[in-house]
Amino acid sequence: MNAFGTPGDDARVGQPDLENGGVFGRISRRQFVVGAAGVAAAGGLSACGGSTDSTSTTGGGSSGTPKPGGDFRLGVTGGGAKDIFDGQNIITKPDQARLVSAFETLLTFDDDYKLTNDGLAEEVTADSPTQYTIKLRKGIEFQNGKSLTADDVVYSLQRIGTEANGLTGFAATASMDVGSIKKLDRYTVQVPLKTADSTIPQTLASYTFGIVPVGYKAYPSPQIGTGPYKLKSFTPGQESVSERNPNYWRSGQPYFDTVTITDFADSTAQVNALLGGQIDAMTDLPASQVTSVKGNGMNALISKTGGWVPLCMAIDMPPFNDNRVRQAMRLIVDREQMIAQIASGYGFVANDLYSPFDEGYDSSLPQRAQDIEQAKSLLSSAGQAGLTVDLHTTNGAAGMVSLATVFAAQAKDAGVTINVKNDPNYYGDSYLKLAFSVDFWGTRGYLNQVQQGSLASSPYNETHWPPTSGDGSNFASLYQQALAATEDAKRIELEHEMQKLEYDNGGYIIPFFGDLIDGYSPKVAGLSPSKGTLNLASFGHGYRTIWFA
Amino acid sequence: MTWLRHGGIAAFIVRRLLLGVLVLILVSILVFAATQALGDPARAILGRNATPASLDALRTQLHLDQSLLGQYLTWAGGLLHGDLGSSLAAQEPVSKLLGARLLNSSVLVLIAAVVSIPLSIALGSWAALRREKAFDTVTSNLMLVLAALPEFVVAVLLVILFATTVLHVLPAISPISVEQRPWDVPKELILPAATLVIAVAPYVARIMRASMVEVLESDYVEMARLKGLPERTVLIRHALPNAIGPVFQVIAINLAYLAGGVVVVEYVFNYSGIGSALQDAVLNHDLPVVQALAMLIAGVYVLLNLLADVATILVTPRLRTRL
Repeated sequence: MNAFGTPGDDARVGQPDLENGGVFGRISRRQFVVGAAGVAAAGGLSACGGSTDSTSTTGGGSSGTPKPGGDFRLGVTGGGAKDIFDGQNIITKPDQARLVSAFETLLTFDDDYKLTNDGLAEEVTADSPTQYTIKLRKGIEFQNGKSLTADDVVYSLQRIGTEANGLTGFAATASMDVGSIKKLDRYTVQVPLKTADSTIPQTLASYTFGIVPVGYKAYPSPQIGTGPYKLKSFTPGQESVSERNPNYWRSGQPYFDTVTITDFADSTAQVNALLGGQIDAMTDLPASQVTSVKGNGMNALISKTGGWVPLCMAIDMPPFNDNRVRQAMRLIVDREQMIAQIASGYGFVANDLYSPFDEGYDSSLPQRAQDIEQAKSLLSSAGQAGLTVDLHTTNGAAGMVSLATVFAAQAKDAGVTINVKNDPNYYGDSYLKLAFSVDFWGTRGYLNQVQQGSLASSPYNETHWPPTSGDGSNFASLYQQALAATEDAKRIELEHEMQKLEYDNGGYIIPFFGDLIDGYSPKVAGLSPSKGTLNLASFGHGYRTIWFA
Repeated sequence: MTWLRHGGIAAFIVRRLLLGVLVLILVSILVFAATQALGDPARAILGRNATPASLDALRTQLHLDQSLLGQYLTWAGGLLHGDLGSSLAAQEPVSKLLGARLLNSSVLVLIAAVVSIPLSIALGSWAALRREKAFDTVTSNLMLVLAALPEFVVAVLLVILFATTVLHVLPAISPISVEQRPWDVPKELILPAATLVIAVAPYVARIMRASMVEVLESDYVEMARLKGLPERTVLIRHALPNAIGPVFQVIAINLAYLAGGVVVVEYVFNYSGIGSALQDAVLNHDLPVVQALAMLIAGVYVLLNLLADVATILVTPRLRTRL
C-alpha cells in the first residue's frame, strides 16, 4: 500500500490488502466441488454475522442491454514507479486493476463471494482430502491464439509455488506438493497436497492465481493471458492501455474497445478528473466526498467488504501477556463512534473476529460493547490501573492512523494513556515485533485468514497467537482438523471452537469492517456492489461486465 | 590562476562554474547520506508485501549487497560517463524514466516563465508609475493576496472555476501520456501554467514596483525628465535598466523554486513531470532517481543564480567595471 496515496485525512477504511486476495466462500466447499461425492446442498446455513446483506449502490442503475464500444478510462491511486504487470503478482493497487484485465483464474467468486465454476476450470474436485483434480474448460485460447491446456495450468501453479519467484500467492501454496503437480491429459491436472487443505478452491479463485501460458514471464515480456483485454502499452507509474480481445471465450464480452488505466498520486486530482469527465471511474472515493461527488451528478459504488484495520496486542509481550489487560482493551472500544469518526459511517460493527462472510463465522458470540467500568476493574485486578502504553501505526492504509488516535481518546475514559507512535518506517524491522500496533487486512475466508495471520507459521502474525500453553494452545491442531474435515458441519463446528478461543483470549481488537467506496460516471452501466476485496466490484469483473450506456 | 581572478566577466563565469561543480558534489554526498538514513529500499518498495523470500529476491536484484561507499562510487563514476544508473523501483535506466518527464516539466516551467516575467515586470513598473493611484492600490493588494495563497489552493480554485463546478471549459487534470508531448495538448497546459504564473508573478511584480519606485525618485531620472526627454524614453532607457538589477535575482530564485516546486502543481493536476517522479522516488527510497533529480534541481539552481549574477553585472556599470 502506498503510504502517500492514502493520506490520513482520507477517512474511509477497508482498503483491500495487497497480498493474496480475498478468499472465502459462502456455499459449502464440498457442495461447490462439482462431482465431489454427493453432499446435498443444504443451503440453510447462515452465511455470516452482521449486516452482510446491506450492500447498496447509490445512483445509477445497471440496467439496459450491453452495447459495445468506447474507451473506458479508470483512475487508480496507490501506484508509482514500482508498478508491475504480472498475471500472478501485484505490488500496488493499479497492478490489481491491470492484472484482472488480461488474466483469469480457474474458479471465480460472484458478488456475494460465493465460489462459482464459471472460470477457466469446468470443475475442481477433491479426490481425497489430500488430492484435487482440475478439469479445464475446452476451447479457450490465449490472446495469441494458443489453446489453453493442462501444461499451462501446471506451469502457472508451479510458478506461484516456487519461493524464489517471490510471487504474491506463494504463502497460499504451502499445502500443495508443488513439484508433483501433473498433467493427466490435455485438459486435466492433478494437484497432490502435502497436508489436507479444504481451502484449495478458494485459493484457486484468488485473483493472484491467474493462469499464464507455459514459459510466461512478467512485463517487459509480452503479457498474454486468456482475459478480455490485451495489453497494448504500459508505463509504470503512469498509464496502461489495453485493447479488446476479439477472440475472447465468453461470447459477446467484453464491450469496450479499449481500457485505459491511469495512475493518480492523490484522490483530489482523481475526483477532479471524474467531475471534469476525463475519467469514467475512480478507486477509493474518500467518504467525506461522497455527497459532493453525487451532488455533481456522479455515482458512488458502496460495497460492504470484510476488510479490517485491527489493533494488535502481542499476547506474549507485557502488558498484554495478561489476558485481563487484553479483555480490558477490548471493552474500552466504542465501535459505533469509531465507524462514525474514522469511516464517516461507512462500515459495520465487528466483534473482534475476522472473516464475517465465511459460512463458519460464529455470529452467536455476544457482541462486545464499550464497558469502561468493567475495563477499569479488569485493569486493577491485573495490577495495571492507570496503564501507559505505546501504540505503533503508520499511513499504510486509510484509517490506520485515525484508528490509533480515536482509540487513544477513548482509552482516556478508562484511565489508560495511549502514546500514538506514527512511524513512516513501521513496516521495517519492528513490524510483527511490537507489543501494540495497528495493521490492515482484506477480506478472506476464515481458514485462509488463520493461515495468513494467526498461526506460528503465518507470514503476518502481529498478535503472536496462538499461545504455547493454556487456553488456545490447541488452536493449531483445531486448524489442521478443520482443513482435513470432509463434512461441512464438522468443519464449521471446529471453526466456531477456534473463534471462541480467539474471542476469549486473542490479541486482536477488530472494531468494524469498512466499506469500499468507488466513484463512477452515470454513463457506466453494469456496476453493482460486491463483497470482494477488489475495488469497483472486482474492476467491473475484469472490465467485461460493464459498458457505456 | 591570475586570469581567474582578474580575467573580467569570462573569468567570473568560469570561477562561478567551478564553484557550482563543488556545490553539486557536496549535494550528491548529502543526498546520498540522507537517503541511506531512510532505510532499506527493498522494504520500501514491497511495503506490507515484504516476505523474507521476496525481500531477498529484490535485494539481490538491486545489488544492495554492495558496501555504501561502493554504491556511491559506482553511481558517481557512472554520472561522469552520463550514466544515471537504474531506478530501483521501476528497474529501468533513470534517463529513460525521467526523459519525458523532464521535458514535460521544463515546458511547464518555461511557459510559466515566459508569461510571468514580462507580465510581472510590466505590472510592477506600471504600478510604480501610477504610484498610490487606483491601479497601484488594486494591483498591490491583489498581488499581496495572491502571494499569500498557497499554490495548492490556487490550483484547486482554478479547477473549480474552469473545469469541474462553475465552468466546464478546461481539462481538470493534465496527465501527459507517454505518446504525447505537452504541446500536443495545449489545453491541458493552461491551468497548471496559470497556477505557476500566479505563484511567481506577485513576488516579481512587488519587487519590480519597489525597485522602480526607488529609481524613479533618483536624481538621474529627475535629471532626464528636466532635460525634457519623453516619459517613455525616461522609463525604458534610464529607469528600467537600473530598476531591473535586483529583479533578476528574484526571478532567478523564483524560477529555481519552480524547478523544484512544481511538485504541488503536478500533484494536483496529475501532470507527469519530475515533481511527481521525485515524490514517488522518495517514497520508494529509490536512491538513483532521488539523486538524479536532486542533482538536476541543484544544477538548475546553480545555473540560474549564475545567469542572474551575470545579468545583474551586465546591467550595472558599477559592478561591471569592478571585475
